Amino acid sequence: MMPASTPAPRTEKAENPDFKTELLGLVPFLRAFARSLTGNPEAADDLAQETLVKAWQSRSSFIPGTNLKAWLFTILRNQFYSDRRRAWRQAPWDQEAAERIPGGADDQIYSAELSDTVRALRHLSDEQREALILVGAGGFSYEDAAAICKCAVGTVKSRVARARKTLIDILDGDDRLEGSERPPEGDAAREIMAQLDKLSPGEPTKKRG
Amino acid sequence: MTQQWEATVSDEERPNEKARAIRARQRAIGRELRRMYDDVAQEQVPDDFMDLLQKIDEAAEAKKS
Repeated sequence: MMPASTPAPRTEKAENPDFKTELLGLVPFLRAFARSLTGNPEAADDLAQETLVKAWQSRSSFIPGTNLKAWLFTILRNQFYSDRRRAWRQAPWDQEAAERIPGGADDQIYSAELSDTVRALRHLSDEQREALILVGAGGFSYEDAAAICKCAVGTVKSRVARARKTLIDILDGDDRLEGSERPPEGDAAREIMAQLDKLSPGEPTKKRG
Repeated sequence: MTQQWEATVSDEERPNEKARAIRARQRAIGRELRRMYDDVAQEQVPDDFMDLLQKIDEAAEAKKS
């Protein structure tokens, strides 16, 4: 324990080997989380390496005795979203290309090697997917998952529940997993309805006046 | 199968049956996700990662002197 009043002197020589050893020990989990976010082994390892560099650079902000794994996962998640935002800014937005190129490549990897359940993860929203992975696969508590995703514990719980339900619906019913050329039915309609919902929050659409 | 189930399960029992089936599905999904995650976590860490940490170390040493 450090005294709260006086800042501890920098003892880099003593702290570095430990911190580095711990980082190294957690690399397998960083790779696993990165793989589940990106769906692509190469992109995942790039992301995990970026995370290590970021973690090292900001090691002074880690509070010893707290959950290093959760701290690293937070960095990895931030990095994932900021990399993606940057990619979107660099390329002019093209919905069709966005669906064709990165999605297509990832889907191929998914369909070649992985089970239906894991492939179905692609069809979850980012928020649902990350919550489900952290809690369902990574073994994080709802509290730690909430800290990593920067949201409320109740939000994580409902995202996990919705993610499970969505996966079951996908696995049971539709043919999105078969790799057919036919576009999934109903998606466009659902998307439009979702956008309408956003435009008029809580506004009854049927009866008015 | 479904018809038999419809015929033998009373209305009160049905929600329980359904809930149990859903829980079983959820457990199966959980197993599948953990397997995916653990498979990656158990892979040997590529040398790139060791190289990277080595470089970080060297950079830190260089800064100090």
